Amino acid sequence: MKHHINFKVNGDDYSLAVDPWRTLNEVIREDLNLTGTKLGCGTGDCGACTVLLDGRSVSSCLTLAVSVNGKSVMTVEGLAPSGEELHPIQEALIQTGGIQCGFCTAGMEMSALNLLNQTLSPSETEIKSALSGNLCRCTGYNQIVEAISMAADKMRDNAAEKEEQ
Amino acid sequence: MESRFKIVGQDVPRTDAEVKARGKALYTDDMKLPGMLHGQILRSPLAHARIKHIDTRRALGLPGVKAVITGQDTPKIKYGNWRLFPDTQDEYPLAVDKVRFIGDEVAAVAAIDRDTAEEAMELIEVEYEELPAVFDVDLSIKPGAPVIHDYCPTNISVNRKIKYGDVEKGFAESDYVREDIFNTHSVSHAYLEPCSALAQVDLDGRITLWTSTQVPYIVQCLLASTLNMRENDIRVIKPFVGGGFGGKMELRAWEFCAAFLARQTGCPVKFTLTREEEFITGRRRHPMKIYSKVGFRKDGTLVAKDLKIQLDGGAYNAMGPTATFLCGNFGAMLYRYPNYRFHGEHIYTNKPPASAMRGFGAPQSLYATEIQMNMAAEELGIDPIDLRLKNAQVSGDEIPDVATISSSGFIDCIKAVAEMSDWKEKRKSLPAGRGIGIGCYSFISGGVFNWFNTQYPFSAAEVRVFSDGTAHLLTMASDIGQGSDTVLKQILAEELGLKMGDIRMTSADTSMTPQADLGSWGSRVTLMAGNAVIDAAKKIKEPLFGAVSARFNLNVIHDIECVNGRVQSKSRPDYGLTFGEAVAMVQKANRGEPLVARGSYTPRGKGLVTPAFGFGAQVAEVDVDKETGLVEVKHMWTAHDCGTVINPRSVEGQLAGSIQMGLGYALSEQFVMDGGKTLNTNFVDYKMPTASDMPPSELFHVETYEPEGPMGAKEAGEGLASPTAPAISDAVYHATGYRCMDLPITPEKILRNLKKNK
Amino acid sequence: MRLPKFEYFEPETLEEALRLLAEWRERVCVLAGGTDVLVKMRNGRLKPGAVIALERISSLNGIGFDLRKGLTIGAGAKLSDVTSHPDILRYYPAIARAARVMANVQVRNMGTIGGNLCNAAPSAENAPPLMALGAVVTAASLEEERRITLDDFFRGPGLTAMKPEEIMTSIFVPTPPANSGASYQRISARCGVDIAAVSVGAMIMIEDTVCREVRIALGAVAPVPMRALSAEAFLKEKVWSEEFLREAARISADESRPISDVRASLEFRKQMVAVMTQRALEEAYGRAIKR
Ligand SMILES: Cc1cc2nc3c(=O)[nH]c(=O)nc-3n(C[C@H](O)[C@H](O)[C@H](O)COP(=O)(O)OP(=O)(O)OC[C@H]3O[C@@H](n4cnc5c(N)ncnc54)[C@H](O)[C@@H]3O)c2cc1C
Ligand code: FES
Ligand code: FES
Repeated sequence: MKHHINFKVNGDDYSLAVDPWRTLNEVIREDLNLTGTKLGCGTGDCGACTVLLDGRSVSSCLTLAVSVNGKSVMTVEGLAPSGEELHPIQEALIQTGGIQCGFCTAGMEMSALNLLNQTLSPSETEIKSALSGNLCRCTGYNQIVEAISMAADKMRDNAAEKEEQ
Repeated sequence: MESRFKIVGQDVPRTDAEVKARGKALYTDDMKLPGMLHGQILRSPLAHARIKHIDTRRALGLPGVKAVITGQDTPKIKYGNWRLFPDTQDEYPLAVDKVRFIGDEVAAVAAIDRDTAEEAMELIEVEYEELPAVFDVDLSIKPGAPVIHDYCPTNISVNRKIKYGDVEKGFAESDYVREDIFNTHSVSHAYLEPCSALAQVDLDGRITLWTSTQVPYIVQCLLASTLNMRENDIRVIKPFVGGGFGGKMELRAWEFCAAFLARQTGCPVKFTLTREEEFITGRRRHPMKIYSKVGFRKDGTLVAKDLKIQLDGGAYNAMGPTATFLCGNFGAMLYRYPNYRFHGEHIYTNKPPASAMRGFGAPQSLYATEIQMNMAAEELGIDPIDLRLKNAQVSGDEIPDVATISSSGFIDCIKAVAEMSDWKEKRKSLPAGRGIGIGCYSFISGGVFNWFNTQYPFSAAEVRVFSDGTAHLLTMASDIGQGSDTVLKQILAEELGLKMGDIRMTSADTSMTPQADLGSWGSRVTLMAGNAVIDAAKKIKEPLFGAVSARFNLNVIHDIECVNGRVQSKSRPDYGLTFGEAVAMVQKANRGEPLVARGSYTPRGKGLVTPAFGFGAQVAEVDVDKETGLVEVKHMWTAHDCGTVINPRSVEGQLAGSIQMGLGYALSEQFVMDGGKTLNTNFVDYKMPTASDMPPSELFHVETYEPEGPMGAKEAGEGLASPTAPAISDAVYHATGYRCMDLPITPEKILRNLKKNK
Repeated sequence: MRLPKFEYFEPETLEEALRLLAEWRERVCVLAGGTDVLVKMRNGRLKPGAVIALERISSLNGIGFDLRKGLTIGAGAKLSDVTSHPDILRYYPAIARAARVMANVQVRNMGTIGGNLCNAAPSAENAPPLMALGAVVTAASLEEERRITLDDFFRGPGLTAMKPEEIMTSIFVPTPPANSGASYQRISARCGVDIAAVSVGAMIMIEDTVCREVRIALGAVAPVPMRALSAEAFLKEKVWSEEFLREAARISADESRPISDVRASLEFRKQMVAVMTQRALEEAYGRAIKR
């Protein structure tokens, strides 16, 4: 039996009937056509499917879509809605070369955001452990770690500027 | 150093980075077509068996199932990348007579959704007659061993020999000879994007296939032959690809099945593998058994090397023949061996096929070379660095009948890395449990041997220029994440004096981009496609220069250049036109014909291996916990020679990525097998290094200019896959006295050895 | 693979959940964070007729601490909440550590401590420190609520002392005695996403350099997380010394019953039990004499 769910994705309201055995990953990719979120393993190991659920990073491949009823999801597409300026995390990843094949990128960005939501001055060790659930086979992570640290600086500066105003 | 280039050598951000950062880049599985069906493959649960009967009726009866096919429904045409030798083409898209490994493709289903396709799998009944299987190269070549392919009763599918000088004489003249056996293991490419293919049939029966591949042209040709269709009726498009590392360089069963089922059902059909399928059945790096004998003079001069390598190829040849060739060529690299002999055997076993993987025979072969070098250094009482310096290959060295090294910065690399790492001091003074070690590499910049038997150039490019000052670059070269599209644009922008943003690019669509390109592997793209781009650019510049010289009465054509969006005199820049104006002039003088040029590159007279070799050296420092045997890599130093660095950020990224793979290869990654069954089929148990496992690392570019390369460039992506394992291994030896002859280096092996030494 | 088909319930009270459970019995599967359940369903190892999600039962999710009594962790508390809870960090660092080193950020944001125990993997990360600290779980059914010590909880891989109609509601850990300290140590080959090949939780109480109380629990070296009773007996009432420590570590290795599998061999696991036991006891001792 399909369940009716209402939830927000990147600020937009969705109302959907879903089979209970479908994962959040399947629903956002196949039904909402938000294909920026990837599927690298389906078993919680690689992080390519990471999204924020009520502000916390989770693996969308291990989350049942029915269970997000009433909740709020953020995917990579929500970082900088089409046409808008890039998020500092995205900008930094582009600049440092932290994107190669790009398959891990969306997940990396969401994990980075999860971290930077908690602290804007993470140490290198903290950044690396924040990425413990995100595998990358191309970059060796160095440029990604560098990017997150750059983004943190920028976001801190932005926050300070706002405060002054 | 003042660069001669404006765009080449700069930190140009990758042109595809923004779409990827925004999550807007479409990979194959992101695509959806109206009426699309979902495919699924049924795989063999047995390592070796005869297929007696397949009953698909129940599966076909399941509502939502549109088609079920088995090998019997297909044209039963074998394929394989080594078209030049049809004997080596040993694989059917779907098994016809036998299955030869666990995971071999037996049947395929197309259904309205994935759930239904999966359900249908369980309803296909296959009756097998199990056959004795063999999982070990030594057993496989014994008389009386199960024969895996009827055409090959010995189970040795490829023999490759290289010989120059007189090895026996060399050993007789040596003061010191040593003989060792090394075993290397199998690892996974573990690209993050599981393979995916989507096929659509036009009204006129032609097929379009979007697929996650490194080799669109090869897929096009082999798909045509296995479907019994004409090449030109197949269009292969490579969308964004989430990494390949050699694992996506052949036609694969799901590509065939997608096309075949699309033709049969009239609907688009998509197959996407699960990670588990990737691990259970995926291609992998060849395990090799390496017998190596080397002879030196007392002063450390190398005299002779006798190398025998047995490759465990698994059930099919895949890219094994190339690996068999290359591991022997790499055995002759790095150092000068006046006398050299190699015998390589590619051996079938009932395991998932091994194939190309980053380094393509080099990581295994050079592991043996490098470890043996260190063992010899110790016994000869010479520092490993000095022993290398003494024997290192230099520009102009020749490997008889095989290759000439047109440029080598190897000696500078060794010196640089020794200095960066403070080698001499650390080698003496590190405390117990700490160690440093060295590993070196050489690698090819693309292959020259035409095993695919193509009539086309190895790489081709088409450049179209427009009066608005823009250009359109078309090539079949495949960016699979390494950034080749950006590099090729950089090269064109440099040649035409344009900005990156002025260049539009169409790549890797076999119906639109010029024939042909052999794909992304063997570090061939920068050199080969780069040269093709330069060739095309030169042909574009010719009429532009002609027009400008006519307009300004400049009679020396080579005094003109394309720079800053202009075509102008070098000495009098005001004598010139904007790029667009020059294009318009040429067109007007030419009845409005568009200004288009084709360029190509096929290596000629470059021996048997490659037009150019990259070199490098790497030092690792490790800390070994003597109670647990855990190895922590504290630091890596790398110096490499990739000729001209076209994109420094990209090269750094390739390095860090290689270290990650090398680290995994040395310490944590391996397929755990029970006979023919792969036991670790997820990323928890297949242990690829995470961010926290990565050591800090420093890189030094040794500047050389490769005459054969575009703007002096050569390979930068794969060679680096080799030095990390021997460097770490040597450092572990320095720290603990454990010399690893059988990769990987596990805590258990270290502890066992520590106990023994006590 | 896709997930199998099932019905889905999302009760908001424990009672409602228990009623559903009683109704569906063996054909139902309780779902907390789902990080074990979904993986098993995907691998085809679990095909329930229905799933009861516990997430919306807010009474299961809290964490409370009372210095006189102890710590109560709701079975549904997320692992990431356990690792960041100030009282847990202060009074139960070994528990915080186990929850912190396991899995990865995303899994800790989803997974629960109750799920980790009920899943009853031999390697269940939270079991050794909780056992070492004398934890007791509460299981509720429509009929009764009962307490089960963690020592009696695990019955085999994937098997627990709970009945099919029961739900775990909370885990209680007494306040650690004065002069005591605890530690959690594990070994695995990689920093991120990894499951322990061997893990040890230890608690000791020291009085005038005499080891008055000691509890050692081993993970991933037997079908269930187990106490190293002989090693404990050996250390008890002994004056703390390097030599005894090493001997206790050796004994605990002897009494462990590991197997060889994808993650490590039997011999290596035994060796590591000794090393990890020694390290855990050392750290616990350091903490004990500081307090
Ligand atoms: C990538 C990855 C890495 C992991 N790494 C580790 C690791 O390092 N160490 C480790 O120990 N584990 C690890 N795990 C396993 C898993 O994450 C943990 O066991 C987690 O704590 C399970 O909690 P959960 O809430 O997700 O449980 P669920 O999957 O929801 O449930 C697990 C089991 O417990 C039952 N259950 C749950 N709650 C209750 C309850 N209140 N009453 C009765 N029964 C209940 C369920 O029916 C099910 O049988 C890993 C998992 C993944 C995907
Ligand atoms: S796809 Fe979800 S973690 Fe890999
Ligand atoms: S960029 Fe390819 S996996 Fe990270």
